[in-house]
Amino acid sequence: MSTYTPLPEHTGTSAPSQAGPDAAPAASTAPAAASRLDVSGALLALLRDTTTAPRPDPQLEALTLAVSADLPVLLWGEPGIGKTAALTQLATTLDLPLTTVIASVHEPSDFSGLPVIGEDPETDGVPMAPPDWAVRLVRAGRGLLFLDELSTAPPAVQAALLRLVLERRVGALRLPPGVRIVAAANPRSSAADGWELSPPLANRFVHLKWVHDADVVVRGLGGVWPRATLPALDAGRLPEAVALARRAVCGLLGARPALVHRLPSGETQRGGAWPSPRSWDMALCLTAFATAADASRDVLSMLVRGTVGDGPGLEFLAYLDRMDLPDPEDLLADPGGAVLPGRGDLRQATLDAVVAAVRARPERGRWDAAWALLAKAAETGAPDLLVVPATTLATLRRDDWEVPVTIEGLAGAVSVSQRADRAKVRALTVTRAGR
Amino acid sequence: MPARDAPVGTLDTGKLYAARLQAARVRPYLATALFALHPVESRSVPTMAVDPYWRCYVSPGFVDRTPVEELAGVWVHEVSHLLRDHHGRSDRYAHRHELRGPAERLRMNIAADCEINDDVFGDGLVAPGGAVGPASLGLQDGELMEDYLRQFRLGPHTAHLAWLECGSGADGLPRPWDLGPDGAHGLSTQERDAVRFRVAQGIVGHPGNAPAGWRRWAEEAFHPPQPWRELLGAALRAAASAPGTGEDYVYGRPARRSAAVPGVVLPSLRRRPARVVVVIDTSGSVSDAELGSALLEVAAISRAVGGRRDLVGVLPCDAAAGQVRPLCGGAQGVELLGGGGTDLRTGFARALESRPRPDVVVVLTDGQTPWPSRRPPCRTVVGVFGRHHGRSSYDESDPEYVPAGPPAWARVVTIG
Repeated sequence: MSTYTPLPEHTGTSAPSQAGPDAAPAASTAPAAASRLDVSGALLALLRDTTTAPRPDPQLEALTLAVSADLPVLLWGEPGIGKTAALTQLATTLDLPLTTVIASVHEPSDFSGLPVIGEDPETDGVPMAPPDWAVRLVRAGRGLLFLDELSTAPPAVQAALLRLVLERRVGALRLPPGVRIVAAANPRSSAADGWELSPPLANRFVHLKWVHDADVVVRGLGGVWPRATLPALDAGRLPEAVALARRAVCGLLGARPALVHRLPSGETQRGGAWPSPRSWDMALCLTAFATAADASRDVLSMLVRGTVGDGPGLEFLAYLDRMDLPDPEDLLADPGGAVLPGRGDLRQATLDAVVAAVRARPERGRWDAAWALLAKAAETGAPDLLVVPATTLATLRRDDWEVPVTIEGLAGAVSVSQRADRAKVRALTVTRAGR
Repeated sequence: MPARDAPVGTLDTGKLYAARLQAARVRPYLATALFALHPVESRSVPTMAVDPYWRCYVSPGFVDRTPVEELAGVWVHEVSHLLRDHHGRSDRYAHRHELRGPAERLRMNIAADCEINDDVFGDGLVAPGGAVGPASLGLQDGELMEDYLRQFRLGPHTAHLAWLECGSGADGLPRPWDLGPDGAHGLSTQERDAVRFRVAQGIVGHPGNAPAGWRRWAEEAFHPPQPWRELLGAALRAAASAPGTGEDYVYGRPARRSAAVPGVVLPSLRRRPARVVVVIDTSGSVSDAELGSALLEVAAISRAVGGRRDLVGVLPCDAAAGQVRPLCGGAQGVELLGGGGTDLRTGFARALESRPRPDVVVVLTDGQTPWPSRRPPCRTVVGVFGRHHGRSSYDESDPEYVPAGPPAWARVVTIG
């Protein structure tokens, strides 16, 4: 359990004036005055007297963002780890009334509507009457609809839910736009009598794995539950967020058209997230929301991988990382003011891109600028990263180009390369002798 | 041997980076991961150690006294701990088996080292002195850390390993020198996943360069294999309970909705339990223990979806099919005849001939068989005993024979 909302004060007793923590000492001195239920009420109140402490919670942030984006969310989690508690906290934060429907105990007709015969079916038709919870939701105009135990619902019920989740229709009623849908399911390993989700239903959800942290549970049982600060959208960044999301998704899919649609093939991936135009649209939407809320990459990673699946999601995130790297043309234009990434692998990728840009359009000025960049990289970071870009850059030299002075800054890289060469020869001798 | 071009006591970064470059040259598919590691000079670590946030703590003295080619081996060894998520797996193992204390973590470090050291060295990469391999503990090569952990205990024979120290990145136990999640140059969860993903993609894209251990890692890094029992169960449950299997609308009993529409007779949806026939490949290459456990699983699952035991039939099949017999007394009562070559086409035909017709046919086989050319008129689940691939594909009468894989219309689960 990672979230907790304090329960309301104990209200079930017949004498509420005597209940509450203040009543506890009085109850012990005057046992005759208080009924047994009052004492138990006091004990319950003491037990419920817990505090909260702020703690970052990526899974709750991801859930909040997906719900704000009005996408149906599916929480996968073992029974009893606080999915309902998380939903309660979310409903409080978003100020939405919570409606819980246990999908597995309903019939298909509870979601598609019960036929009710009116005066003259031939002229009026037979309306499909919606259940009471749907009527109340529509009357309220807004709310958080929580469909629990989705994976243990039989296939016919899941088929009926498809319409509810996709078209937001229950019988003849249409759920108003203010209603957000969250579902929960037990993973296959713990749902011994469960059905798996059909691929069309699975494709409509953002799948979030809900896990508990043992430390959080121990602290919470000790009286301190975590309180997550939930992401808020920055109104000033909305156009920028949309532009970035469009650029990222279109850029990746333009380069990798095979990722646009890929039905789950293996038995292990059934019932989970998979890429399709619909789920990429959801990923685009979530990227924009995460950018506008300035959410961390971890949160975005959970959301995107939960929408298009692990493999395509990771490729998308790798593409975003590459978008974050400085543009090689900008670096070549101003090598003096260039800021190179600090992480070794990203720095090497940047330098490789610079050399590739020079190779694409070899000009004297660009070649010199690339050497200046390499010299700068040698001053500020590990020399072994420079060996491959420097070697490649050297091969691009034309006969009339003089070797720039800045190349002296690369002496460290050269000596590192020579030492590595000698070590490689020795290592090959040793490993071949050993065989 | 070590070149002393740095004063004693300070970290010889030139040597350290030369070793990293050599490691990246002989193992190009690990270059991204090697360059993503951030070296941190530390006098507390005995040699080199990693933390879960991809920092590499380096002892200057160790760099000084170790030749470059051995340092390259250490680089690869340390980055392997992180790529293979040994800290996370150690934590999960400790959690599952309720292990605590430094001794257990040392055992995890040893097991993790065994998993790495049996196949990363050689071919241009020198094993560092004192590297522990499975053989030194009397264990087999090529297993996973979790398997090794079950097979050895600390004792006099491991006393010489007590100094082993690959840091919290190898066994999950925080060390005093760790900079922690908030320190400089740490990688976030997503960044770690991204690096591991890029390395895995590189290996899958150019599998020829990488040894089998790394290829297996790359294939499973983001798609961990699931236990076959759950997969077989889900496939069978989906086949036996899908719309259209043994259910139809009947007027025999009033529908639940009838109360809402007085005067109208509505059909109600009735379902009879699915009939399941299990065709068992008895061609001799599948062990009795495996068959028995798979058969029990099928019986248990079909009971769970509402079937009765007498609705599960068993059909042993090698080159010729036997008779469908009800599975009444558990798997022990089934006589599994056969032992020659396999032709599952006869098994399919016999299963579909049986009356009443089965709703689901489950085939348990090692896959070395011809398959029906057309989709049978019922749902099909194929359980393939995957371990036997390559071992039993040899056919004396026709050594060139290569059997086709299970057809696309079946749901295939790899067992074991």
